[in-house]
Amino acid sequence: MRAGAAIVFASLVVAWSQAAPAFSFPPFQQFSEKHSGRTTNCSMCHMNDDGPTGNGHGQIGGLTKDQLEQLNKARAALQPGSEVDNPILNKFGNEIVRKLGMQKVLELSADPAKLPEALGNTTDLDDDGIPDAQEYLDGTDPLNKSHGDPAKLFFINLSRCKLQIALAVVAVFLLDYGLAHLLKGLSIAAKTAEPK
Amino acid sequence: MKNGTAFGALAHFLQERFPVDKMNFHSMVEKKEVPVHSMSWGYYTGGLTLFFFIIQVVTGLLLLFYYQPTVSDAYASVEYITKYVTGGALIRNIHSWSSSCMILFAMIHMITAFAMKAFEKPREITWIAGVLLLFITFTFGFTGYLLPWNQIAVNASKVGLQSVEAAGQYLPGQLSQLPRMAIETFQGEASVGQSTLGRFYAMHVVLLPMAIAALLGLHLLSVQLHGMSQGVDEPPRKVEKFFPVFFFKDVSLWSAVFLILFVIASTVPFDSFLPFPLLEPYNAMGSTPPGIKPEWYFYFVYYPLEMLPFWVILLASNIAVVVLLLTPWIFRGTSRRTLRYISLAASAYLVVITLFGQDILHMVKPGF
Repeated sequence: MRAGAAIVFASLVVAWSQAAPAFSFPPFQQFSEKHSGRTTNCSMCHMNDDGPTGNGHGQIGGLTKDQLEQLNKARAALQPGSEVDNPILNKFGNEIVRKLGMQKVLELSADPAKLPEALGNTTDLDDDGIPDAQEYLDGTDPLNKSHGDPAKLFFINLSRCKLQIALAVVAVFLLDYGLAHLLKGLSIAAKTAEPK
Repeated sequence: MKNGTAFGALAHFLQERFPVDKMNFHSMVEKKEVPVHSMSWGYYTGGLTLFFFIIQVVTGLLLLFYYQPTVSDAYASVEYITKYVTGGALIRNIHSWSSSCMILFAMIHMITAFAMKAFEKPREITWIAGVLLLFITFTFGFTGYLLPWNQIAVNASKVGLQSVEAAGQYLPGQLSQLPRMAIETFQGEASVGQSTLGRFYAMHVVLLPMAIAALLGLHLLSVQLHGMSQGVDEPPRKVEKFFPVFFFKDVSLWSAVFLILFVIASTVPFDSFLPFPLLEPYNAMGSTPPGIKPEWYFYFVYYPLEMLPFWVILLASNIAVVVLLLTPWIFRGTSRRTLRYISLAASAYLVVITLFGQDILHMVKPGF
């Protein structure tokens, strides 16, 4: 019964994917932009900035035979947990499919606000300290360690760099202390050298 | 005879501005005193600008080890610096933050110097050198912006260069050819490409540093020769020795500012303020992402350009440049009180247009 339903759903997915060859999910990008107030584009989840339609790098028209096979395999990964390597998706896009499965992704495209909840806060692909789900809400790049909400990055990195900052404070303080004594010494030496 | 008088006047003018008898360690360092009053903080702004310039030179030299000024490798080399070079992200981040701080403090320094009437005789050349230094600093910002070769870098440079070219139609006669010639010289080809990157790189790392070193030398020599300006109307009741007292205070402030810069550069990547599509490698065949804007320090001219006719901005900019260069003569008889009001108005304009320019633009042109 369950297998039958999956076959029917898979057929629907294939039919839908043929009707919409790009197989992209603009509602997610639109939600992220609206929620964060930041400009985003397809490259949040896709390989190509302009999405999967076209003949460029990471676009369907530019895929090799092997990559097309990978694409079809990934499209059929309806359930969560499948190891997918969809050539039109980037690491974040593939992680969403791996974690949720295509069936859930399709469902969520009707309500993209629920994607962060479904993803949870366990993955941080760029290791910047901000979970990928939060980066989706913030409209920042989940695959770039140097990109995130500036205020969040400040507190995260402040906690990560405590030792370096403490060492810098000590070094600068010692330098200042030494310089003060050097200047004092030079001043005294100049005064004593002055002809009376 | 007339020529002789003019030459004599010029020689006398230069003698007063560069007194040879004062060009010694005793007069320029040992004897130098700094007035202490309510506006004394203004004396530190120039030193801070110099400090950020030094940071720029040091970090810029380190970035030179890895940066590749070619359209095929520029983006990749910047990415390599950020991701793989030990301390590369920190150095690049310090360079970016420090560039903004340098421009900010250069502007503050000019405004405070104006408010304190620090351009009065015999400091006219100090002022003019300072104004030219500010223009060079802006050019540093403009040329450096292109170097990462990402979407915003290339597209914003295109917009900037197009604005220069557009100025030609408003200039009379042969002058109308000047912007086109400038574009041909600095852009080097029909659109922003390899020639542009090469030329901007040459300007950023060779020509502009040479120009800034020469003008900075002149500016600092002049400052040391004539000392700090009085700054306020009443003669100061208290003074302090430039060396070692003021010098040590200046260096201590530099240390504190360095620590702040270090903490900010270690924690907040400068690029994180921009939408990520603008940071992707430039793709000549791809679509131009929305939100292309110059750096914040050009907002004071960028937003008015979006709101008002081009000729208005061109005229206003030219008037502003002439007024800045002739300030020592235009405002010779103006009281410090009036100068402070003018400075406050200029500062208010700069702050409001920089922070709220986007909102004002939305109000003036809904849907922009």
